[in-house]
Amino acid sequence: MTGIVFDIKEMAVHDGPGLRTTVFFKGCPLRCRWCHNPEGLTFQPQLMVKDARCIGCKNCQKGCDHPECKPFGRCIHVCPENCLEIAGRQVDAKALAAELLQTAEILGDAFGGFTFSGGEPLAQPEFLLALAAELKPHHLCIETSGFAGPEIFRAVLEQLDYIIMDIKLADPVLHQQYTGQSNDQILHNFEILRQSSKPYTIRTPLIPGITDTKENLAAIAALIGDSNWEKLPYNAAAGAKYKMLGMKFENHPAK
Amino acid sequence: MNQNLYDFIVNKGHHQYRHTVDWCLAEEYAAKGLSPIQRMADRFERLCREEEAVILEGEQIVFLRTVANLPAIFTEEEWAEINQKHYIHELGFMSNLSPNYYDTIATGLLEKRKTADPYGQRAIDNILMLSDKYLEKAKKQGREDLVEILTQVPRHPARSFREALQFFRILHYALWLEGNYHNTVGRFDKYIWPYLKADLEKGIYTRDTALALLEDFFLSFNKDSDIYVGVQQGDNGQSMMLGGEEVFNLLTELCLEASCNNKLIDPKINLRVSKKTPKEIFTKATHLTKAGLGFPQYSNDDVVIPALERLGYAHEDAANYTVAACWEFIIPNVGADVANIAALSYPKAVDTALHSSLLTAKTYEEFFATVQAEITAECDRICAGIHDLWFIPSPFMNVLMDCDIYNGGKYNNFGIHGTGIATAADSLAAIKKYVFEEQSIGKEELIQAVDENFENTPELLHTLRYEAPKLGNNDDFADSIATALLDSFAAALTGRTNCRGGIYRAGTGSAMYYLWHADEIGASPDGRRAKEPFGTNYSVSLFAKVKGPVSVIASMTKQHFENAINGGPLTLEFHQSIFAEEDGIEKVGMLVKSFIDRGGHQLQLNTVNLDRMLDAQKHPENHRQLVVRIWGWSAYFVELDKEYQDHVIARQAYTV
Repeated sequence: MTGIVFDIKEMAVHDGPGLRTTVFFKGCPLRCRWCHNPEGLTFQPQLMVKDARCIGCKNCQKGCDHPECKPFGRCIHVCPENCLEIAGRQVDAKALAAELLQTAEILGDAFGGFTFSGGEPLAQPEFLLALAAELKPHHLCIETSGFAGPEIFRAVLEQLDYIIMDIKLADPVLHQQYTGQSNDQILHNFEILRQSSKPYTIRTPLIPGITDTKENLAAIAALIGDSNWEKLPYNAAAGAKYKMLGMKFENHPAK
Repeated sequence: MNQNLYDFIVNKGHHQYRHTVDWCLAEEYAAKGLSPIQRMADRFERLCREEEAVILEGEQIVFLRTVANLPAIFTEEEWAEINQKHYIHELGFMSNLSPNYYDTIATGLLEKRKTADPYGQRAIDNILMLSDKYLEKAKKQGREDLVEILTQVPRHPARSFREALQFFRILHYALWLEGNYHNTVGRFDKYIWPYLKADLEKGIYTRDTALALLEDFFLSFNKDSDIYVGVQQGDNGQSMMLGGEEVFNLLTELCLEASCNNKLIDPKINLRVSKKTPKEIFTKATHLTKAGLGFPQYSNDDVVIPALERLGYAHEDAANYTVAACWEFIIPNVGADVANIAALSYPKAVDTALHSSLLTAKTYEEFFATVQAEITAECDRICAGIHDLWFIPSPFMNVLMDCDIYNGGKYNNFGIHGTGIATAADSLAAIKKYVFEEQSIGKEELIQAVDENFENTPELLHTLRYEAPKLGNNDDFADSIATALLDSFAAALTGRTNCRGGIYRAGTGSAMYYLWHADEIGASPDGRRAKEPFGTNYSVSLFAKVKGPVSVIASMTKQHFENAINGGPLTLEFHQSIFAEEDGIEKVGMLVKSFIDRGGHQLQLNTVNLDRMLDAQKHPENHRQLVVRIWGWSAYFVELDKEYQDHVIARQAYTV
């Protein structure tokens, strides 16, 4: 069982209890305007170019025979400053688990474990479940938009120890407008989560003028009741990665 | 804290009381034919006479340097002759000692005088003469509190927390004025705690008032420290050790807090911990890490004590260890080790083997054997070069030690640093993988590429630099090579006797050799280009793409520190933002605990802000108080030479 991930980050301090390593799944059904992980949007590998370090040697444009470089027309194996990298690695669940398990003892001793983030981990449900099965009995956590069919959500919920789920906008129309999807499934899954016995946290990114409005926050508060709720301040530097991917941050919320 | 005094000192207001002296002592001494110890004694006497008593407003802990320079005691010709006859270490002193403050503060200088030699007695008399100047000044300024204290100390034993602190200040001040340097503080919370404890029980202090006094005391380490320049400003060796077996008391906590509140680079805080240390202490200590001073530096009792015992230190001495100016493990009171006498360059051993033996080596093992032989040969050269070691005697330092250090302390061992272990391990990992196992890089091709500084082989450079196995990724392929290198170094020093009758200790520190040794060779097979420095101390390579701090800890705790315990920490860098919430602070504390639980020997963490450093290079005037950690000491960024600034900046590339 293979899936595609774009990063593995050790010591992600905001991704659940204790010392944790976070796996970022590539690909997401949502298109939140403020997204700060643009390399997590598509399910395909993407070329990321860190232009700021470029010394202008043009080595990467001289052509090469590496199959992985082919789709991008530039060689990623020749840059003296390591400016080019491919975001997105197709990986087998067992192999990835073996890699992660090398530090499992340290993480476990420090009351932590592994977190699945993205992108949207629920968008690769079989891979996610396969990976979770390989990593058990270590403490597993997910950071999700909650956007998935209820059967998928239930199946994943059962395998994990801690859920961090976003509720970004309470209003379905605004949710559609700013994330490209309705929040029907998300709110339905939230009910499933609330009725489960799993510990969870709800998160709302505070996007100026969009999610941080009085109305939205009041509506979310009413929806989630006494659930544990974290409001995350918006990172103004979030757009930096778009340029590296040759993408435009057209929907910058500050605009 | 006394904020006015703090601002006055930080803004260097007290420099107005300083002057320099232009005495031609060396010529006078040479003409009179005075011996070195007579010269040291005479200069100290003259300096004590020249020093003026200055008591600043609201100052609780007094003694301020007013003479900013120490005139030479040898003429240039004499010094050249001494250097010819003897091996001279650094400036010629036996530095990096941890004197017996405890005993001295508990008995008083008059008691010490009874057992001191005539030079020691003369030094004590001069200190008493100078302290009486302060007593007179205190009387004149109507400072009844100081009159009472200075009537008692340093003549007689300290009777209170404040007297103990003032006594310490006088001793430490006198050591610096005598001319020795890297005068460490030792296990402060162990020997001062009884005084605070008694005062707390008597109701003289509360937690808060004790903290306020301690902050003023900590401030005193920063009054004259700019006069105590080492290789760079900040390299002054005012290391304080806290914690350790049976010691973690309220004073330990207050010291962590005082350092955190003062946000000054002295004293430099070290913390002894072990598997038994509770999580909460790591959290408390991490609050200090957050302050960005590069403190505390941790050392692991579970590893250090048995390793020192293996080297022949008595259990009670090993258990009482502290650190030298940076991180070398030394023994208070009785140790006369020279813990930083020289350094081995691992990358140079690899470079020599690369050019002499790679072409003929049939297997990686055969090639590695030549690297080992090179390490041994370099140790031969280093050790053979150190003979007839001679020190400028410091009579007062000798008074404060429990044995006559110049005629041999209880321990007379030499410590040798090991520089660039990551560069060497990564180079060997690349050779093993690409040259011997995959055979994807030819031997001649590699040697030529290294010799040409990879100018004509960008793809090879990329492979070696960014795709090859690296120490720090919890990958045994590279990690085990670092283990083998450290073992080889330790084995190469085992069984040797030094010229003072002691042994040699292998270490994991680099000191400034991470720059110096890097200049001795060109590029290296790990894709490091010529002129690029090594990592400091026991760290991963500057450009190694590592998975993160957890893997680094897993990698860097695999080695056998029981064989190589001269000292030298693993350094980890964290961006300031990780400490924004209490949860992040606890997690960093847990990471430190993991390092200790897994048998790491020494760890030092930095809190950094790259943007601020870059701005400080452009606008130093806006960042006078920005502190960074160099190899074993913290410094004000703007006071460093650019090469040291640039290295700190380069270290940040893979900050968490």
